[in-house]
Amino acid sequence: MTAYLFKRLGLSMAVVLAVVVVLFSLLHMIPGDPATIALGPRATPEAIARYAAKMHLDQPVWKQLVIYVGNAVTGDLGVDVFSERPVTTMILERLGFSMSLVFAGMGWAAVLGIPLGCLAAVKPNTWLDWITGVISVATIAVPSFLVSIWALLIFAVGLRWLPAIGAGEPGDLGDQFLHLIMPAFAVGLGWVGYLARMVRASMLEVMGEPYIRSARAFGLKPNKVIFGYALRVAILPTITLIGMGFGGLISATVFAEIIFARPGIGKLIFDSVMARNFPVVQGAVLVATALYILVVLISDILIAMLDPRVRDSL
Amino acid sequence: MDTLLDIRNLSLDFRTTRGRVKALRDISFPVRKGRIIGIVGESGSGKSTILWSIMGLLAGNAEVTGGEILFEDRNMLTLSESSRRAARGEEISVVFQDPMTSQIPVLTYARQMFDILYRRPNLSRAQKREAAIDMMRRVGIPDPEARVDQYPHQFSGGMRQRAGIAMALLTGPKLLLADEPTTALDVTMEAQIIHLLQGLQSEFGATIVVVSHNLGLIAELCDDVVVMYAGEVIEAGEVHDIFHHARHPYTRALLECDPARVEKVTRRLPVIPGDIPDLTRPRKGCIYSPRCQRAMPTCHDVDPPTAATAPGQFARCHLLEGPHADPTWPPPASVLTVGRGTEDLPPRPDPAGTPLLDVRDLNVRFRTMGPIRARLRGIDDPFVDAVLDVSLSVRPGETVGLVGESGSGKTTLGRTILNLLRSEAGTATFEGQDIRNMPESRFKPLRRDMAMMFQDPVGSLSPRKSVRALITEPLLIHGITGRDLDVEAERLADMVRLPKPFLTRYPHELSGGQARRVGVARALALNPKLIIADEPTAGLDVSVQGEILNLMAELQAEHGLSYLIITHNLPVIRHIADRLAIMYLGRIVEQGPTGAIFANPLHPYTQALVEGVPKPDPDRRRKHVSISGEVPSLLRRPPGCDFATRCPYVQDRCRVEKPPHFDAPAGRQHACLFPLTHN
Repeated sequence: MTAYLFKRLGLSMAVVLAVVVVLFSLLHMIPGDPATIALGPRATPEAIARYAAKMHLDQPVWKQLVIYVGNAVTGDLGVDVFSERPVTTMILERLGFSMSLVFAGMGWAAVLGIPLGCLAAVKPNTWLDWITGVISVATIAVPSFLVSIWALLIFAVGLRWLPAIGAGEPGDLGDQFLHLIMPAFAVGLGWVGYLARMVRASMLEVMGEPYIRSARAFGLKPNKVIFGYALRVAILPTITLIGMGFGGLISATVFAEIIFARPGIGKLIFDSVMARNFPVVQGAVLVATALYILVVLISDILIAMLDPRVRDSL
Repeated sequence: MDTLLDIRNLSLDFRTTRGRVKALRDISFPVRKGRIIGIVGESGSGKSTILWSIMGLLAGNAEVTGGEILFEDRNMLTLSESSRRAARGEEISVVFQDPMTSQIPVLTYARQMFDILYRRPNLSRAQKREAAIDMMRRVGIPDPEARVDQYPHQFSGGMRQRAGIAMALLTGPKLLLADEPTTALDVTMEAQIIHLLQGLQSEFGATIVVVSHNLGLIAELCDDVVVMYAGEVIEAGEVHDIFHHARHPYTRALLECDPARVEKVTRRLPVIPGDIPDLTRPRKGCIYSPRCQRAMPTCHDVDPPTAATAPGQFARCHLLEGPHADPTWPPPASVLTVGRGTEDLPPRPDPAGTPLLDVRDLNVRFRTMGPIRARLRGIDDPFVDAVLDVSLSVRPGETVGLVGESGSGKTTLGRTILNLLRSEAGTATFEGQDIRNMPESRFKPLRRDMAMMFQDPVGSLSPRKSVRALITEPLLIHGITGRDLDVEAERLADMVRLPKPFLTRYPHELSGGQARRVGVARALALNPKLIIADEPTAGLDVSVQGEILNLMAELQAEHGLSYLIITHNLPVIRHIADRLAIMYLGRIVEQGPTGAIFANPLHPYTQALVEGVPKPDPDRRRKHVSISGEVPSLLRRPPGCDFATRCPYVQDRCRVEKPPHFDAPAGRQHACLFPLTHN
């Protein structure tokens, strides 16, 4: 298990490094001089030279990469081209908003989707299963930005129950929570159906296994059999799915953050791309990638903890 | 004697897309308290369905159409679900068929047993744990204090089944149901489990119902026997009566078909012609009449009478009672009532001359861990020897049996011979040509001469291909053109006696025996010289098994085939193999002519195997188990003789010195420092 942990951590770091290289070379593949692109066509040659020296653009590319990686390891992701604020600070300010959105979105999707899938699997081909199926397909099919706009129109504009934009007053958790409801709803909705379908399929498979019949033959109560035995096994593929889903959500939040004007990572990336603020783009994408890899790693470790067969084969 | 469970006129249908399958029809038999009762029958006879009816755990499409199941004074069929649940696991418990799949993989035994005891709120957690440990000790699991916290996959097959029995007995049930409790186990394990069940029965005084197709198990374990055929009880009685004075023609035929009961070695095993009837059709007359050797016109029209000799002892047959009774039936045991197929086989060609296949000192190793991890853990040799110093030859026209328990390396050896695995050392020649680790491009033409019959008859056939496509596939793979594939398909179907209409069917529409025939046809498609058959009769019923083996013998006589048969089924291999090689932990421990090996085994392991098979004769029950323990892991190969850890005759020298292969008279070889002598 320890060896496995180290192996996975090493592999994860290698992936992050590969992402850095790709991000870095992307910047150099854009035609023209990065300094000119960054500063715009009307920048003076002195400004460009100053910028190039500051950004180590006068060094060979491999050296730039080494410098970047070296800085990144110590937590320095460079500075904003315009404001000259450290990118790390900018990301950290916004990370909380994005993470709370991702967790809230996935959280409510899991809390609703997993039991729905269980119910559908326990009573297959009944009206309950049928309704779950319809809801699932509907929530998967409707794009989240559409849901966001409708939610805005109904709850913020029409009913005026919820605040429309922003992330809430700093320090006021109640206000921040109110601001979180609609974006989290929009972001997680598709996942409700997705998780319900997934859990239903794997529950149906597990419910047919001989060991479930054994549990019944020992007289265990139906709830114990379903949640204590069947779900225990059926949840394993779902954990992997949720882990991967986090990655998808980190990019899906871009929509929600733009529509609800939440100052999250997604909005930061979007704004910086528009403004050609490449150090910020680089840093934000790197952090998002690292987070994604971290979540996948955690989900794999979680599976190893829940499934002794996996644990012993490591 | 008191009746604990009384099944009366139970009838049950399964609703399927093909119509209602009348799976059980008018089943009646009592289960007396303190007895072990065996329900015996072939697949599709409904024997397991009875168990699940008692438990109230039938599939959703099952519908009880009549009758009652009285447990003590309660009718289990009309009881509410919650009262039934109260009886399950508490008063009635089950030992399951396959301990590999019937125990939840993600919970420890302690946790599973804790859950079973949930109805005992007055027991503390520690007391429940103590009860679990105690029960594991009583079923013979060593070191139960530690093992109770392990997961099922950390147990070997035999230990898992012991744990399964421990779980079933934990609550002290009045009735224990066992569904094919040894089918998934090896011979030596099977003997131990039978012994354990017998011991526990006398210790706990429980009543046991065993469902099995294995006549040996039934004869050795049971007091009473119920014989089922196609959803009906056709005969019931005490075990001696059933095995020695069977009154129903089917019981008689079933016993005669069991290779273990055919004393004289024969190349032609008795068979029951025909198939189990289609249970969706309404039955008229006796259900067995279409296959019965003694069927009379009445049998096809009139329901047979129930000829009872005592309460709970009866047979349903026109020969026994009524106007058509035949006082000469049943004939004495020496008279064979079923046929052995057609004419006798021509005498065997004398297997001599140069071997077709010759394997010398073959060694196959598997890597157990990556080189880095091995280095980190300081292991110099991260390999196990799956096959070690194996020498084996097959001559033209000869049948060689390769016998061993699971994990003995017999399948690995077969796959290595077919060049599907790389070998580490040794030689392997086929028709004088060195084939060991030959590149696939050069080996491919040889695959025409060496065919494989796979273990799982249905699973080894692609479900998306028709029988016609399946049996002509080898021709396409080897690019053999210029032949009409339809003609070829019909020729091959003819060879394996598969009726023409089957060519358009798909594997899921075939019975086990028919799928096996398709497997034989595929193996024969390219006119091979050698067929390597991996467990050719596994999963087949006794009556069908004989047909497949007879077919293989006929084909051998017609085409001069050689067989290398990989099996753990000793009663069968005794009849069909000319020579045997017994494998243990990847080594051949004994080799020689089949008759001599069965008559006087030289290696203690061979003796354990030969004696390990339960005899289908209740008068020849064993008093003791000839061999204890389990096959050690390849990772922990004993330093001396591989068998030293389990050998009843072990001496100090055996534990340190690895015995080489010794030659013995009459073309025999063994690997034992102190071979058995037979006076």
